[in-house]
Amino acid sequence: MISMRSVSKTYGADKPALNDVNVEIEQGEFVFLVGHSGSGKSTFIRLLQRELLPSEGAIVVAGQDLTHMKNWKVPYLRRNIGCVFQDFKLLPNKTTYENVAFALEVIGRSRHVIRTQVPEVLRLVGLEEKINSYPDELSGGEQQRVSIARAFVNRPPLLLADEPTGNLDPATSLGIMSLFSRINKTGTTVLVATHDREMVDSMRKRVIALENGRIIRDQDRGVYGYGD
Amino acid sequence: MAINAGYFVRESLQSFRRNWVMSLGAVITIYLSLLLVGVSIASSMIVSQVVRSVEDKVSIRIFLKDGAATADVDALNKTLVADARVKNVKYTSKEEALAEFKKTMVDSPEIVDQLEVNPLPASLDVNLKKPQDVTVLVETIKSDPSFIKVADRPDSPEKSLKYGQQIVKQLFAFTSALRVVGVVFIIMLAVISLIFINNTIRLAIYARRKEIGIMRLVGASNWFIRTPFLLEGMVQSLLGALLALLTLGSIQWFVMPRLKGTISFLPVSLSGGSSAQISLILIVSGVIIGLAGSAVALRRYLKV
Repeated sequence: MISMRSVSKTYGADKPALNDVNVEIEQGEFVFLVGHSGSGKSTFIRLLQRELLPSEGAIVVAGQDLTHMKNWKVPYLRRNIGCVFQDFKLLPNKTTYENVAFALEVIGRSRHVIRTQVPEVLRLVGLEEKINSYPDELSGGEQQRVSIARAFVNRPPLLLADEPTGNLDPATSLGIMSLFSRINKTGTTVLVATHDREMVDSMRKRVIALENGRIIRDQDRGVYGYGD
Repeated sequence: MAINAGYFVRESLQSFRRNWVMSLGAVITIYLSLLLVGVSIASSMIVSQVVRSVEDKVSIRIFLKDGAATADVDALNKTLVADARVKNVKYTSKEEALAEFKKTMVDSPEIVDQLEVNPLPASLDVNLKKPQDVTVLVETIKSDPSFIKVADRPDSPEKSLKYGQQIVKQLFAFTSALRVVGVVFIIMLAVISLIFINNTIRLAIYARRKEIGIMRLVGASNWFIRTPFLLEGMVQSLLGALLALLTLGSIQWFVMPRLKGTISFLPVSLSGGSSAQISLILIVSGVIIGLAGSAVALRRYLKV
């Protein structure tokens, strides 16, 4: 699903944000990407969305070579990648339903598809009661569920999450993580960048640890780490 | 595509309702800019019409000596008519000249009565296709041998020709300066309105940058993101252009007739053709400005 070969990314003339990274992630895997702030997690995620191009190396996502991809093809790549962020990125003037439907509307799905898929995915994330609420009427955890619903409504084969629980309390975070786990069980590859130690330790999934732009550990059924 | 069309219309209407202050601002900016452009085009059209009517009065009058041979006059006439720069040549006989003189002197007939013989020479009036050619043509005529034969004063051919020597030069300098100023003015206004509109649209897009960011995130194609903004920009420009046209039309209908009454000696008017031309220019440039402004403003939010 994801293949990175000797990928480096340098911003300006500074030291590289990512340095000679090699990663293979198979379809259906659940992977945690851990590390301190500034270790290169966000750069990693943004490279996979092709918001950035690597300075060196090759990246293949969902069978598509990102380094040689034409600009106009990028939107079609992104339809295969669901994205979840720390700050939810919901539209404040749209309801829960409209926010999720928006993701389908703008890629040209028919109204029929929207009417059946949106309620279904909202049921999956447990928000069928809040279908007509606006984001400011929802709790943080609920807002993050909406954004997960939006990311997943198109059934992408890959789901990326950048600090999805950074703004949430531990109990809510646990709920969000079990939601990711359920999505993973449908066959979707899930990659979660986080520094939430308890979460990573309790889930016992594959863990890739970054430090100063290098992979220092890649471990199946791993934990967050030892020191710090 | 049918779904998309519905989506675009819905989206545009909705965004107009949500951001109507912004939209109104854009419409007013476009309206005022285009109105200024329209007014300056119209006035430069009127000015150039006035200028042309003044320029058309430039002609060469060749005075013929009394008793010049008809054959020689005909020869000069023929060479003049054959000249590519000449529009037409009119012969005025001594008698006709006197009759014309009497007509202009109708208020003081005693001057005419005192004349014992007819002192006025016969003449050839040469009208030009392009008034600017006048000095060159005068030189050609002067060197023509048949001109020397029939000229009123062969000793000084200069005095047998009248074409407003000094005035002509100054007139042409003035009119060409007037034309340049008009064009520069219109170009400046067009640039100003382009900048204004670009800024207004950029503000509208900035207000919706979050939405655009999410659209890109979920994989909306760039054209899909662009189209509602372009449509919006185009509709706003069209509205602005129509308002400008309405204003110009009412100026044409209500102000121009009064203006004509006050300065009747100058041909101050706009033909239907020129009005249509102005309308076309305003609508087309409005749409182009709206589309170009939106496209430029959108570019930086659509970098992949």
